[in-house]
Amino acid sequence: MSYIEFENVNKQYKMGEITIDALSKTNFQIEKGELVVIVGPSGAGKTTALNILGGMDTATSGKVIVDGKDVTTLKGKELIKYRREDIGFVFQFYNLVQNLTAKENVELATQICKDSLDPDKVMEKVGLKNRKNNFPSQLSGGEQQRVAIARAIAKNPKLLLCDEPTGALDYKTGKQILKLLQNTCRKGNITVLIITHNTAIAPMADKIIYFKNGKAEKIEINQNPTPIEEIEW
Amino acid sequence: MTIVGTVQSPLYISRDRGTSSLGAGKVNYYIYITNDNINAKDIYTNIYLKLNNSEEYTTSSEKYENYVEDVKNDIEEIKEEREKARYDTLRKKAEDKVNDAEKELNKQKKDAENEIAKAEKKLNKAKQDIKKAESEIKTNKQKADTEFKNAEKEIAKAKEELQKKEEELKVKEEQLNSLPEVSEYVKLELEQAKKELENAKNEISKNEIQLSKSKQTTNDQIKNAEKEVEKAKQELQKGEKELSKNKKEFEEKIADAEDKLKDARDKINDIEMATWYILDRNANAGYVGFIQDTDSIANIGRVFPVVFFIVATLISLTSMTRMVEEQRMQIGTLKALGYNRKQITLKYIIYAGLACIIGGILGMSIGFVILPKVIWLMYGMMYELIDIEIEFNLLFGGLGLILISVCILGATIYTVLKELRHQPAVLMRPKAPKSGNRVMLERIPFIWKRLNFSKKVTVRNLFRYKKRFCMTIIGILGCTSLILAGFGLKDSVKQIIPNQFENVFVYDMQITLKDDIAENEKEELIKELEQEERIEKIAKTYMTSGKVYNGENSEDVQIIIPKTEEQLDGIIYINDTKTKNKISMKENEISLTDKAAQLLEIKAGDTITLEDSDENKVEVKVSNVVENYVQHYVFMTKETYEKLYETKYETNVILTKNIELSEEEADRLATNIMDKSQVASVSNIASALKTIEDMMSLLNYVVVVLIVSAGLLAFVVLYNLANVNISERIRELATIKVLGFYDKEVYNYVAKETVILTIIGIILGLAFGFFLNYYILETCEINMLRFPKIIHGISYLYAILITVVFTVIVNIVTYFSLKKINMIESLKSVE
Repeated sequence: MSYIEFENVNKQYKMGEITIDALSKTNFQIEKGELVVIVGPSGAGKTTALNILGGMDTATSGKVIVDGKDVTTLKGKELIKYRREDIGFVFQFYNLVQNLTAKENVELATQICKDSLDPDKVMEKVGLKNRKNNFPSQLSGGEQQRVAIARAIAKNPKLLLCDEPTGALDYKTGKQILKLLQNTCRKGNITVLIITHNTAIAPMADKIIYFKNGKAEKIEINQNPTPIEEIEW
Repeated sequence: MTIVGTVQSPLYISRDRGTSSLGAGKVNYYIYITNDNINAKDIYTNIYLKLNNSEEYTTSSEKYENYVEDVKNDIEEIKEEREKARYDTLRKKAEDKVNDAEKELNKQKKDAENEIAKAEKKLNKAKQDIKKAESEIKTNKQKADTEFKNAEKEIAKAKEELQKKEEELKVKEEQLNSLPEVSEYVKLELEQAKKELENAKNEISKNEIQLSKSKQTTNDQIKNAEKEVEKAKQELQKGEKELSKNKKEFEEKIADAEDKLKDARDKINDIEMATWYILDRNANAGYVGFIQDTDSIANIGRVFPVVFFIVATLISLTSMTRMVEEQRMQIGTLKALGYNRKQITLKYIIYAGLACIIGGILGMSIGFVILPKVIWLMYGMMYELIDIEIEFNLLFGGLGLILISVCILGATIYTVLKELRHQPAVLMRPKAPKSGNRVMLERIPFIWKRLNFSKKVTVRNLFRYKKRFCMTIIGILGCTSLILAGFGLKDSVKQIIPNQFENVFVYDMQITLKDDIAENEKEELIKELEQEERIEKIAKTYMTSGKVYNGENSEDVQIIIPKTEEQLDGIIYINDTKTKNKISMKENEISLTDKAAQLLEIKAGDTITLEDSDENKVEVKVSNVVENYVQHYVFMTKETYEKLYETKYETNVILTKNIELSEEEADRLATNIMDKSQVASVSNIASALKTIEDMMSLLNYVVVVLIVSAGLLAFVVLYNLANVNISERIRELATIKVLGFYDKEVYNYVAKETVILTIIGIILGLAFGFFLNYYILETCEINMLRFPKIIHGISYLYAILITVVFTVIVNIVTYFSLKKINMIESLKSVE
């Protein structure tokens, strides 16, 4: 059994009288420590899958197993606990708390987790040792995303879920962020999922899942991932 | 009598129907009957006037008062003349009656006297008759005596002669006998002589018998006459006795009648000059109470709505501003689509305008219809009133609507225009969250380092949203202070009675004496009162109404002059208004109660003009301003009064301190005293107290309405601000939810700020409420009353608790709103 199993997951949204199938019978597996890139066009269900995996949303039917735990059966507090202890999220728009300094944003996460990492060390790891006392508004986009990543990994999660982490960043900065994520995965042995519509970065992953029309249409396993520095787009 | 219907009289609108000089001194019920029932066909004691055109003025308004005052003054001018006329009529009628009576008396007197004279004459005649009879008897007796004596003498003479003859005869016989032989002839002769002698002897005897017989008869006759005289004498005596008795009776009766006449004349002199009391509605206690209640509510109405209005405006302002800000994307879209500024602005103006108009109509329905009805209902507990006529007050309604519309439309337009300055592209992107900043506290590492993470976040957030920070604090401050002011007002109103009757007037009963009673009767009553075991202590005073002038301004006062200052101890406490220490009255100076002093701007040491009830004005120095809560009083010593007004002190009111009595017992005592002839009226403080307390309870109800409204406002303020808080920070909150904050932790993340803001708001609100209360008391105060400026600890507690309860309710609502935040929706990259 894989570390993460998506089995026949369906997700339907009801918009008034219309029912939209965001996911229909999605299946995929991810192994522990893998760097996975999910690619696909807008509305293919990537984010929905990620949300369900991250415990931010629940599947209409199907099974989602993470490290032997059936996430779909979790309710209320258990679900929050799952998010709290097992998941790290990185958003396209960073979603930093503006009123907290970089380090405090990280502390916001660590103070609620049992096995959290030392915020200072994490800040150093993401290369923001000297910027940790700045407010988000004083940081560049890349720096803000680094803070967001630091906040996510400081929780010491089983899974790091990144929804278009480079979407709002320029090429160079985006590359740096992806590098950071790749390093996080390789060095920290954290399973990392990256959603992107940019297929060009797919080679950096151990596994590439192609989404189309609410389905994981194709899953590619990349035996030799390319370091991000070597990828150009 | 048959009850033919039930009535409601405007003369008795108060549930308390005032005092009476009969019974226990209280009017409990009133009835209307025709004058046939009371045999008072041409006597009336009251005339009620309805003035022409008076309905054009609102009662108790200045215009009305002036209008009535004018008529009153006109009547005042004929008053003296009419009083004299009435007096003269009464006097003439009485005098005629007395004169008639006197005439009748005199006539009867004369008749009686004539009769007496006649009787006397008769008696005198009888007396003379008796005298005559007596003298006649005497004469007759003498005559008879003389006759009898003569007869006796003759008899005696005859007897002597007879004896002589006998002796001669004897001698002759002896001679004869000595002679041997005596001729027959001689013998015969002798025999003849003897016979003759014997005959004479017989004759004498016969005469003697006859005499004695006639003596007897005469004696009898005289005795009879004497008896008759005696009888007549007795009769005369009887007659005399009767006469003297009748005479005495007559004299007594006459004296009596004359006394009566004199009394009647005295009574005529006692006929009091008729007095007209020209009173207006202000003499009706129920009416005055009603107007005063209305005034105090009106006064409250001057202050509270302003605060309400300000808070409500602030809330509406933030709501509208937020709405516009939340719709910035739409504004951007509209702008991008090519709508011009005017069109876009108009959309929001119409929205805000409609909100103002609909809200205004709803508010006015409540404000002009429901609230007056509720307050009227409360009035109904105190007064017997007809249904309220609800009126739309164009001024207040219009002004309120215009004011709030201007504020809200202004703010809306300002915000819309501010947003419209940006390019559509900028508008369509979410507004950049407010950037964080270090706060002052962080520069004090000593404190900052001690705070744990979540506290640091709270502190930072507090200062981040300054507008909300201020709004929340102002909102809570407003509510807490309104609630506190409401309770404080209630406290003050509640405290008036205890303060007045526990700190100042501690007597239990006020006994007013009749005007014209003699000094000894007064003494008698006082003695009785002193001996009455239910009465602990009495104070003799002279009380009169007066007026204190300071320049043009004047206030009506009650002047109290104790017979001796010591007597007032335990009856009335005269305490300094500031220090609350007992003062002693100064010679030739007066003490004035503090509300009057305040109204007339008089300080201790000032000289004022004091007018007594006879309109004598004197200048006098105010030695002390003294504590008092109901009405205005002037206190001075007997000596001061006598010197100032050059009159003699005379007790007219007795104040008593009683032993502990139940209400019933006190009433009984009052009735007992009322029955005494010297007493004009008795009033029990306990029952007076209850009445005032009843009246005050109306104000309490109004206060309750205020408190409830303030509470609701607090709720709206807090709820609104909580919503603003959530919607402003929805992304942040969604983020921490994603991070795995439990619902409770998310709630705490927000609530800590609310709690701190609430605490700050409450503390400031208590302070502000204290001053607001002070201000309200200053403005609401009725001229006659001094509201004690106190707020009980419990009121602070209530103000805090009510605010806290509303905060808790709002926070519970917040908790569920937070729980419902949809992370996915909130975190979608672009809204």
